[in-house]
Amino acid sequence: MAKRLLRIFGPIILAALLVLAVFVSPVTFGFKHVSAGEERQAAVSLSPNVLKGKRLKAAALGENYVPFFGSSEWSRFDPMHPSVLAQKYDRSYRPFLLGARGTQSLTQFFVMQNIQGDLRHKKAVFVISPQWFVKNGTRKDAFGFYYSQLQTTEWLSHYRHDAIDRYAAKRLLQMPVAQSDHFIYAALQRVASGKSLTDYQKVYLRAKMNMLTQEDQFFSGINLPSQNLNKVMQQTKKLPTHYSYATLNRLAGQLGKAQTGNNRFHISDTFYKQRLKKVIRKGKLKNFQKNLSYTQSPEFADFQLVLDQFARLDTNVMFIIPPVNDRWSAYTGLSKSMLRQFDRKIRYQLESQGFTHICDLSHDGNVPYFMTDTIHLGWRGWLAVDQQLNPFLTKSQPAPHYNINDKFYSQQWQQLPPERLAAYKVTSK
Amino acid sequence: MLSFEPYGNPTYFAILGVALIPLVIGLLYGRRSRLYETIISIFFLVLTFGGPKWTQGVALIVYISYEVLLTWGYAVYRKQKNSGPIFYLMVILAILPLTIVKVTPAVENGQNSLIGFLGISYLTFRAVQTMMETRDGTLKNFQIMTFLQFMLFFPTISSGPIDRYRRFEHDYRSVPDRDTYLGMIQKGVRYIFVGFLYKFILAYYFGQILLPRLLQMGMQARGGFLDLSWPVLGYMYVYSAYLFFDFAGYSLFAVGTSYLMGIATPMNFKQPWRSPNIKDFWNRWHITLSFWFRDFIYMRLVFWFMKHRVFKNPRTTANVTYIINMLVMGFWHGVTWYYITYGLFHGCALVINDAWLRYKKKHRESVPHNRFTQWFAIFLTANLVCFSFLIFSGFLNQLWFTN
Repeated sequence: MAKRLLRIFGPIILAALLVLAVFVSPVTFGFKHVSAGEERQAAVSLSPNVLKGKRLKAAALGENYVPFFGSSEWSRFDPMHPSVLAQKYDRSYRPFLLGARGTQSLTQFFVMQNIQGDLRHKKAVFVISPQWFVKNGTRKDAFGFYYSQLQTTEWLSHYRHDAIDRYAAKRLLQMPVAQSDHFIYAALQRVASGKSLTDYQKVYLRAKMNMLTQEDQFFSGINLPSQNLNKVMQQTKKLPTHYSYATLNRLAGQLGKAQTGNNRFHISDTFYKQRLKKVIRKGKLKNFQKNLSYTQSPEFADFQLVLDQFARLDTNVMFIIPPVNDRWSAYTGLSKSMLRQFDRKIRYQLESQGFTHICDLSHDGNVPYFMTDTIHLGWRGWLAVDQQLNPFLTKSQPAPHYNINDKFYSQQWQQLPPERLAAYKVTSK
Repeated sequence: MLSFEPYGNPTYFAILGVALIPLVIGLLYGRRSRLYETIISIFFLVLTFGGPKWTQGVALIVYISYEVLLTWGYAVYRKQKNSGPIFYLMVILAILPLTIVKVTPAVENGQNSLIGFLGISYLTFRAVQTMMETRDGTLKNFQIMTFLQFMLFFPTISSGPIDRYRRFEHDYRSVPDRDTYLGMIQKGVRYIFVGFLYKFILAYYFGQILLPRLLQMGMQARGGFLDLSWPVLGYMYVYSAYLFFDFAGYSLFAVGTSYLMGIATPMNFKQPWRSPNIKDFWNRWHITLSFWFRDFIYMRLVFWFMKHRVFKNPRTTANVTYIINMLVMGFWHGVTWYYITYGLFHGCALVINDAWLRYKKKHRESVPHNRFTQWFAIFLTANLVCFSFLIFSGFLNQLWFTN
């Protein structure tokens, strides 16, 4: 009997032991090395696995890659896209695009957790989409899609026992995905209530982190999408050999005009045909954003987490605030004064805490071919970004001085009606 | 509170493995501890229906009490009398909760019924079948405790396979001898590992990686004839592969786990993609379900029609019953146009298949039968089935009736 049982269960036990050995062992099995080609692919892949992992990001950011935090705008690869310009004109930096449709401040805060070494005293770029700041803030399913246990365990291994981390833990606990690991969930509850982790939890988290790190090292290089890199390379061919703003601006106008022929909104033809044409014909989008507001949202506090993290690491950040396509917002009824109020509120949160590198394009929604579709930067928009981005990244900058204020976590700030902003600036501390 | 999908993640399998060790050792030494089996059954039921899903747990308890009362009541009654109307009434009462659960989303805009829970259909099949065999007189000594074990046998509770009371009772009341049991362990372990391949690698790849892309491509390519396009064709095959590997994988887990518990739950799939015709397909695909329908709907209806001489021609009887049988199966999946069309499609396919087989028998000399025609038959059957799964998937509904 024993012999037969061994024949049945022997291979399983052996396999289990081998898997365990690989995951538990601190050795890296030679997968740590990341080739330059892999880095180039990963930097523009926009793949959720790259965002959730560590190996590829850490390797690239250790060299001349700069983290570009944002969301869906990164996927608009036209010739003026930051990745294309940096490649074509062989800039001293290369963008590492972090974020895709649905990534917002809270996701980005956790993304920052396992690249802290590469942010400390370095530069970064962050695109703030006004569309994040809706009534309910980040969508729970979208957050779940980009959630990474690896980042959470890393954060729990170095979190500080202060109000900020308590806030982060509380926000995470509100997300259904936090329950994907019962032990992490229990640990988060302790952090949220201000207690320190138990010894048992620390051991578990360390083992889990080790396992996830191994997993990341094994699998992060597999199936890395390459189509975006191909797009970037294709787009570089459309650019003139030598950089000249005037020539590029003219080219941006020409390209925009050629690609937005089928509609009155100056929206790229393919986007219009695929996403809008049918719905517009039914008249469903006319004035549908009339009552939409970006001025009261839990996102303001989530965004404060990001600012706090940058401040702790002394990262020098350039923030980009994109506009909304004017022709489009006029059709959908999105209020322009509300957008201006949003801009004032977010700028106060940034500037009052010492974040002064702001590329604020919120007034340029009427410039022709500035936007590639409804809310995403394109041709001239990307070029305008480059005007400020290039000097910021290529020239040396004075060290930033941040003074963080916890009032931006408060319910009062999140829900502050825009007309009370002026009074708030004077009275709040 | 912990809550798990049955066979959903590695933790579930780890807990399952540990929980089964004492039971396996017991069976190896010729003992079956009813108490321990009951305890782990309850434990896994709590894992599946507890925590955030407690409302389902309550629904399960209420439902089970109701079904036990009906079946037991009928078994007691049947010892004295055997009236037709009473039997029909009991069967109707037994399928009433399932009917409510299935009809609710159709009339309440997709809202799920409060009395539903994961696996209600499969429990109803088991209860109804027990009742019918009691009526036939083939099931004589009905016992409440065994019936409860049969209904709540945790490896198969959520999605089958659908065992039969008498078969289960036989296994449950005895202990396999050591050699047989070692064979069962070996098979069970193999099934579970093939299940891993099916469910966590193949079904994942088809269902999570390929399917969403094809769905998006198909939706974007709308506008042509009936909104059809090449991605829709791709979706059809990929969805079929996903459906098979997902469900076959799950069934392998359920059967494998049963084997480790010394219960030879019947297999649900037997190489369905090599069926030369649609009838054979239903003998190989979701076998316990199609046999259940065969024994308790098809056969019963045929007897009833013949007894009451409804149709003169036995062929007509068979054809009408095929259609009714498959329509019922369609409705059972859910009250939507695509499930019902799916049922109707298979009903018609069975009728045509029968007609073709009869024709072939009559004209043996003129209809060629060789390796090529056999391959062609398999190819045609597989494609027909895939097409029916495209209907079943609801993708056409999304393609045609959504923005």
